[in-house]
Amino acid sequence: MRTDVWLVIAGMAVVTYLTRAPLLLALARRPLPPRLRSWLRLIPLAVLPALALPLILVDEGRLVASPAHPPLWGAVVVFALAGLRVNLLATVAAAVATVAALRALG
Amino acid sequence: MPVDPPADSRTSATRRARDGFVASLALVPSVFVYGTVFGGLAVQAGLRPLEVWAMSLLVFAGAAQFVAVPMLEAGASPLAIVLTTYVVNMRHYLMAATLAPAFRGFPRAWLALVAHWINDESFAVAVARRHPVDPWVYLGSAAAVAGAFLGGVPVGTHLGGLVADPARWGLDFAFPAVFLALGVVQLRAPTDWLVAVASGALATAVALMAPGHWHIVVAGVVVSGTAALVVPPEAP
Repeated sequence: MRTDVWLVIAGMAVVTYLTRAPLLLALARRPLPPRLRSWLRLIPLAVLPALALPLILVDEGRLVASPAHPPLWGAVVVFALAGLRVNLLATVAAAVATVAALRALG
Repeated sequence: MPVDPPADSRTSATRRARDGFVASLALVPSVFVYGTVFGGLAVQAGLRPLEVWAMSLLVFAGAAQFVAVPMLEAGASPLAIVLTTYVVNMRHYLMAATLAPAFRGFPRAWLALVAHWINDESFAVAVARRHPVDPWVYLGSAAAVAGAFLGGVPVGTHLGGLVADPARWGLDFAFPAVFLALGVVQLRAPTDWLVAVASGALATAVALMAPGHWHIVVAGVVVSGTAALVVPPEAP
């Protein structure tokens, strides 16, 4: 059991490093062609909503888009405050408080 | 897009790192609490504290660790756990590619070390904070996130998760809130909106159809790739 645990930890560490290091090392070396640069500029625009929306809209494999779902209101708060360029700490605090309050009431 | 705008070279590396650190403070409480929750769960699942700390330090990928621990507890094969970890972490390829140009001129040994600390939260802070990405802002943010996570884990292995149900306090929502807020501030051109909405929708659809962790990679690659082919390069 114990060797297994360390084996798993080592394996997890190696494969995770292999997702992080190769492109960072390879693409930091040379100036990039314009087409690749514009692709890299678009990645955050695609990755951030891809990280966020499923966390908000999917719960245990089901789509939850009803007004009774507190994260939806949290997202509305984030949209409004971030759109007004309120700072990140205040935006997140307000959203977390909104979700906590709605869950406490629900 | 200039590689290094003059405004940035005037501000010292320390100041820019502090900027990244401070910008990440919104996340520190949630990351810390989830560190304690992970530490507590992993010990309950039968791991020794030393193993939990080693995993957190050497793998340093919260989502993958939360997936691996119940698999270990259930006696899944090491190969299955390692492969799952790889799939969960494939999104790092996209982040590494995006961050790489910012690190031009850094010694390769540095890059090899910096790579280990790539995480969703610091990626989000770094890409939203400056255009183009500032390596020092990213490093400051990574220090805050790593400090919070690695500080939380030992607390959790000894005291248990500090908060029995972080969701009750809305702490789970800090993560989508940060990703969403940092995404919103980047929306300028109509194409930006199109990319963001399409990717969010595709990711949600994939998450519904294929539970697991493919949706980030699939939506990230398909939508940004399609847009890069359609939108002319060097668009403002």
